[in-house]
Amino acid sequence: MSTRIATVFPILAALSLGAGASSAAEVGDAQQGKLIYQRYCVSCHGERGNGQGEFADWITPKPRDYRQGTFKWRSTPSGSLPTDADLERVLINGLYGTYMPSWNAIGHHQRLDVIAYIKTFSPRFAAEKPQAPIAIPPEPPYTTESVARGAAAYKKFNCSQCHGDSAQGDGPSAHELKDDWGNQIVPYDLTQGHVKCGNGGNDIYRVFIAGLSGTPMPSFADSVSPAEAWDLVHFIQSLSPGYAKNLTGAAAPSGEGSP
Amino acid sequence: MSKRLLSLVLRIGLCAGLSLALAAPSSAIPAFARKYGLRCTSCHESWPVLNDFGRNFRDNGYQLRLGKDDVVTAEPGYWPVSVHITPSYQYTTTTNQATDQGTKSIESGGVADAGMDLLMAGVLTKNISFLVVPTGFASDGNVHLESYWADFSRLIANSDWFNLRVGKHEVDLPASPHRGISLAEPYLIYGYHPGVNAPANAAGAFGLDTNQVGFEMFGHDKASLTRYNVSVFSANDSTGSRNALSSPSIYGHFQKYFRTGSDTLSQYEFGAWGVYATYPTTFLTSGGVPIAGGGGNVQSTTRYGFEAQVWLLHEVAPLHLNLVYGRGSDNKALYFGSADRAGTFQGGFLEAIWVPDVDLLHWGLFTRYDVIRNQDQPIPGTPSNLGDQNQITVGVRYTIAYSNRDEVGIHVEYGTNRERGVGAAGLDVRSSLLFLGVDFLY
Repeated sequence: MSTRIATVFPILAALSLGAGASSAAEVGDAQQGKLIYQRYCVSCHGERGNGQGEFADWITPKPRDYRQGTFKWRSTPSGSLPTDADLERVLINGLYGTYMPSWNAIGHHQRLDVIAYIKTFSPRFAAEKPQAPIAIPPEPPYTTESVARGAAAYKKFNCSQCHGDSAQGDGPSAHELKDDWGNQIVPYDLTQGHVKCGNGGNDIYRVFIAGLSGTPMPSFADSVSPAEAWDLVHFIQSLSPGYAKNLTGAAAPSGEGSP
Repeated sequence: MSKRLLSLVLRIGLCAGLSLALAAPSSAIPAFARKYGLRCTSCHESWPVLNDFGRNFRDNGYQLRLGKDDVVTAEPGYWPVSVHITPSYQYTTTTNQATDQGTKSIESGGVADAGMDLLMAGVLTKNISFLVVPTGFASDGNVHLESYWADFSRLIANSDWFNLRVGKHEVDLPASPHRGISLAEPYLIYGYHPGVNAPANAAGAFGLDTNQVGFEMFGHDKASLTRYNVSVFSANDSTGSRNALSSPSIYGHFQKYFRTGSDTLSQYEFGAWGVYATYPTTFLTSGGVPIAGGGGNVQSTTRYGFEAQVWLLHEVAPLHLNLVYGRGSDNKALYFGSADRAGTFQGGFLEAIWVPDVDLLHWGLFTRYDVIRNQDQPIPGTPSNLGDQNQITVGVRYTIAYSNRDEVGIHVEYGTNRERGVGAAGLDVRSSLLFLGVDFLY
C-alpha cells in the first residue's frame, strides 16, 4: 500500500504543478469564466450581463448591470473602474442584505475566471485601467471621543438627509432616491450591524472616500479628512453591537470584512 | 402453477424489487433555488451531486448567511417544499432463475410505478434549519419519512466546527446514495453483507445507505474544504436492546479537499470513514416473539475504508473521479447460530462523472464500477466467492431546462451486475437494467 501511495502523490503533485503557471499569473480565463457565470450568476445578472436575469424582476436591490462598468464596491476613486481585487472582494464577502451570496466556497481560481468574463460585458475594461486604490490610513482607536466627533460629522455632511437622524435609512430624501438605471433604491439602515460588502472599519472607510458609483451616495474624498472619515466609521460602529470595534487602533487582522 | 401465472408472479416480483431499489429519494431541492434565485447548477456539479458551493451551503445548515435565510426575510410566497418524481421505462433481465420449467432468464419491461419524494427543507430561524422528506406515494399507498431532522448551526462560540443535527439523517458517506447521479443502480458496498444464503438475521439489517435515527455532530472550515462528521445513532431496523441507546452505533467521516488552481487537476480530496453498529443477539420474548426494546448481548457489524477524489479539467466542468474502498465484518453472533465465524468482505467503487464544457453545462455523463469480494464466509461449507459481485453502470443525463424554479432532464442509464453462485444450481446471476426516465423537480 505504501508503494501505491508513494506513486499516487507524485502524480497528483505533477498534475497540480502542470498548471501552476496559469494561477501564478493571476489572470482569469474568460472562456472558462463564461461557464462559471452560466453556472452561478446568470439567473440574476442575465445572459448579456444586463442585470435582467430570470430572477431579477423579483428582487430588490436589482442585480448589477455590468455593461457600463459602474460598480459600487471599489477601492478606486469615484468614477474609476474597480480592480480585480475589488470584484473578488465582493465575490468572497457577498453583499449582506441582498441576494448576492458569498462565493467564497468556489475558490480563487473560479473567481478569477468569472471576473475575467464579467469584464467582457463592458468595453471600458478594454479601454481603461482602474485608477490606483485610495490610501487608507491606519485606524485610530475606537473611543467615545471619536464617536462623538463622528456624530458631529454625520450632521456636518448632512448624512441624515438620506440615512435619517437615527441612521435607519429613513431620511427626508429616502423615498426619492434612484440609481443610475432608474431603479428606486433605499438608503442603507446603518443600525443593522452589517455593511453590505464587509464589516471591517476599512470597508466602511472605503465607502466614504470612494462613494458608491451608480447611486446617490457620493464620494467625500474632497471634503472629508482622513481623521473625520475614521470618526464617521466609529460613529456608525457605535450604532450597533454587531460591528466589531477596533479599540486599540491595531492593524485589522487578515481577512477583515468577511461575513 | 401455470406458466402464465408463474410469469406474472415473477414479473411482479421483479417490479417490486426494482421499486425498492429505486426507493431511496434523491435530494436536490428546488425550494432553495426559488428562495435564493439560484439555478440548480449553483449547488450541483451535475444533478444531484453537490459541488463546492452546494456542499458549503448544506454544511451551513442551508444558509447563505447574508440576511436572507430566516423565513421572515424571505418572500411571503416562499414555501419550503419541492417535489421530485421520475416517470421511467425500465427493462430488466435476470439470468439463471429457478422455475418449474427449469433454469430460465427472466426479462421484463414497462413503465415503472414511480414513487415521489416530497422534499421539505429550509431555515426555521437563524442557525436552526430542518429537513423532512416523506417518500413513497406510489400506487401501493405506502408513504414513510425517509428523513426528518433539525439542525443547529454554530452551537459553540459561533464556530462552524460545532453543529448538531438531531433526527433521522443520512450519515455522511463518501458518495451519497441520496445524491448519486445513478438513478437505477445502488452503491453495492453500502448495503452488502456476507452470507447471502444465511437465514434471516440481524447481520443483514444494517445499511450504510439507510438513514439512521440519532445525533450527528459535524463541523467544517469556512469553505468546507476540511470536514468531519460523527453520527451516534440507534442502528436501523433493530428490535432494540436494554441500553440507553437501544442499538448503539457510531459513524465517523473525515475529509480534506485540496485546490490546485490548475485547469489540469483542479481539485483532489482524501477521506476516511468507518462505522461500528450493534444489534442485539438475545431477546426477552412474549409468546416466542422478541419484545421490542428487550434485546441484549449486542454484537457488532463494522465497515471502514477510505476515499480519494480528483477533479480533472476545470472545476466548472470537471471530470470527477471518486474512488471508495471499504472492508466490512459482521459478527458471527448476528447470524444466530448459522455461522461459525464472522463474515468479512472488501469492496468499493470507482465512479466517474463528466460535465462537458459544451452547451452550457446541460450534459452529464457518468459511469461506475462496483465490486464486492467476500473474504470469510460466515456459513460453514460456503464457497469462498459466493456473493461476489461486479457491477458496471453507464449513463447520460441531459438537462432540458434548469432554472431558479425547477429542473427537468432526460436520464438514460444501463447497469449490469453479476453475482457469483446465487442462481439456480449455484450458477451466477446476471441482472441488467435499462432505464429511460424523465426526471423532474419543482
